Amino acid sequence: MISAYYLQIIILVGINIIMASSLNLVVGYTGQLSIGHAAFMSLGAYVSAIVTLQTGLPFIVSLLLGAAVAGLFGILIGIPTLRLKGDYLAIATLGFGEIIRIIFLNLKITGGAVGLRGIPKETTLLWVIGVTLLSLFVLQRIINSRVGRALIAIREDETAAESMGINTTYYKTLAFGVGAFFAGLGGGLFAHYFRYIHPNVFGFMRSIEQLCMVVLGGLGNMWGAIIGATALTAIPELLRAGAEYRLLVYGAILVLMMRARPQGLLGESIGQTGGRSLKRRKTLFTKIKLFRRNK
Amino acid sequence: MKKYRLALVIMVALSMILMLAAGCGTSQPASEPEGAGDEASEGTSEETVDVKVGTVGPLTGGAATYGESVRNAVQIALEEANENKEIPGVNLVLVSEDSEGDWSKAANAFSKLIDQDGVNVIVGAVLSSETAAGGPIVMEGKVPTISPSSTATDLTVGNPYLFRNCLSDEVQASQLAEYAIAELGFKRFAILYTNNDYGVALKDAFEATAKEKAEVVAVEAFMDGDEHFRPQLTSIQQKNPDAIFIAGYYTEAGKIAQQAAEQGISAQLLGADGFYSPVLVEIGEQAVEGAIFTAGFFSADPNPVVQSFVTRYTELFGEEPDMFAAQAYDATRIVIEAMKKYGTDRESIREGLAQTKDFPGITGLTSIDEEGDTIKDVLILKVENGTFQRLR
Repeated sequence: MISAYYLQIIILVGINIIMASSLNLVVGYTGQLSIGHAAFMSLGAYVSAIVTLQTGLPFIVSLLLGAAVAGLFGILIGIPTLRLKGDYLAIATLGFGEIIRIIFLNLKITGGAVGLRGIPKETTLLWVIGVTLLSLFVLQRIINSRVGRALIAIREDETAAESMGINTTYYKTLAFGVGAFFAGLGGGLFAHYFRYIHPNVFGFMRSIEQLCMVVLGGLGNMWGAIIGATALTAIPELLRAGAEYRLLVYGAILVLMMRARPQGLLGESIGQTGGRSLKRRKTLFTKIKLFRRNK
Repeated sequence: MKKYRLALVIMVALSMILMLAAGCGTSQPASEPEGAGDEASEGTSEETVDVKVGTVGPLTGGAATYGESVRNAVQIALEEANENKEIPGVNLVLVSEDSEGDWSKAANAFSKLIDQDGVNVIVGAVLSSETAAGGPIVMEGKVPTISPSSTATDLTVGNPYLFRNCLSDEVQASQLAEYAIAELGFKRFAILYTNNDYGVALKDAFEATAKEKAEVVAVEAFMDGDEHFRPQLTSIQQKNPDAIFIAGYYTEAGKIAQQAAEQGISAQLLGADGFYSPVLVEIGEQAVEGAIFTAGFFSADPNPVVQSFVTRYTELFGEEPDMFAAQAYDATRIVIEAMKKYGTDRESIREGLAQTKDFPGITGLTSIDEEGDTIKDVLILKVENGTFQRLR
């Protein structure tokens, strides 16, 4: 019989795998730097918890409702912000994350600063394993489909992708929406496991932690997201013996990792994707761009 | 190529599982402090049994000072009990876990203490959100838990394993409002509260009591960690209140006092136990002079028990104990008394905690009611010449 402590860590690992792999779709495959992923998690957590508490609907319904609302917000936020690039998008998503947190902190229905207590315990190990596998399966199918190729094309070169007839805004918003949907699922599982939610764990630090999982595991690699989520959930718990110093060690591990393998544990280095052909393609398109501008 | 990568993934996954398995084997003895174990063994040859007492609180992050105070005080209480052999044949061992101030990590800490370390009782958690997240876990694990500082409303209701030793926010805020109206004769109040569970509970209780016999002319909110309070202070100033009740912690309160003074606000400053720290005067300087606030602990109390704790704490940790430390010390003393009277297993401790009546602690006479909540006197202190004086 597995102890409740290990069970809890395994459940957290599962939830974090959902969070990291869904963020990977946005950051790793589509190349859009989002640091507001925890906001979608909190939307899923609060919506599903409130639905369960107020209506008593079955867990599966509230879980899906939470995820749907998160996905909807992903699309709504995605439409205006995804026109921004790189750093600007990062700042916009960060701002969005803080807005959501502050709103939850001030609403009556969310319990405000007291938090939401007495959520029934619905999340079991079986639920987490089921939802995690399902999420990974769906995400993997998306990545290996025509949509996935379009997303990767956008990451590699947005202008080139657009010139090939890919509706970049549509696909970026789609990736953002799908990522948010699965983050909402993770949030719903989270709320119904702890039976208590308070906005302060869905802050900017949680978003950064999830981004770390993706980067550490390797951007644009599903196995990477899984390994990154597992490692960054388990390491702080393994280091508990170190008391106050454990976060120091945790930080040092991150720094050393990034020094030794900047592409992440399983990330593809430039060479693997065929750096030369990529470079050649890029110069070709730069020429086309210049040609257009001169005309 | 693909097969090779799959093999790599499996290897990494396997090594992680091994790490996890190895981690649990070695972490247990390492997390026990050395000091507590040695002293018992050198005295007599009789056999002693280790009984583990856990703490959960932030040891890292923004709220780390509160968590450290709690852990330090629990350590002192346990060491004293071991030195004086208060419970025959029992050696109390401290296992303290960090929550990073994050309630989901506090939940991990609670689970670890219960399942991995097998503690018989937990003193914690520190923040209300941490205790709220830990509540269902200790109830399921049937481990009695006493929080020294989580003041949120109704936290212990419906949970027979959860107790607390601290002033509830309602009690101190309503007693302060009554005192300010009856003894100080104030008629118009403004409230400036920090928008977290603590601030909101204080604000609600103060507002409700004050409205019965006086007027509340302004209610403004701020956030933990804010630096500038001019907008709130300006709108309060326009209402011209007799007194401003600052429902928040000393760091922000000191800054608010400074900025209010600069803005020429002369209203009396009122506060709750979040004011009780020397840091209040360090930050607020002249501006906090004359501020009146409620407290659960007063370190200049001539009571010898208080003085011996203050001396020992200052010697060991190089700073005066704050309210968190004092309440944690009392909470641990209550646990030790329960062990002496009822036994050291989990159920006996729970029974003992529930039966606590008129325990003479350093934070005053303490009883625990049927819901696990604390009943105790509220002290009222005033800042005079940069030090605290007791008014009531």
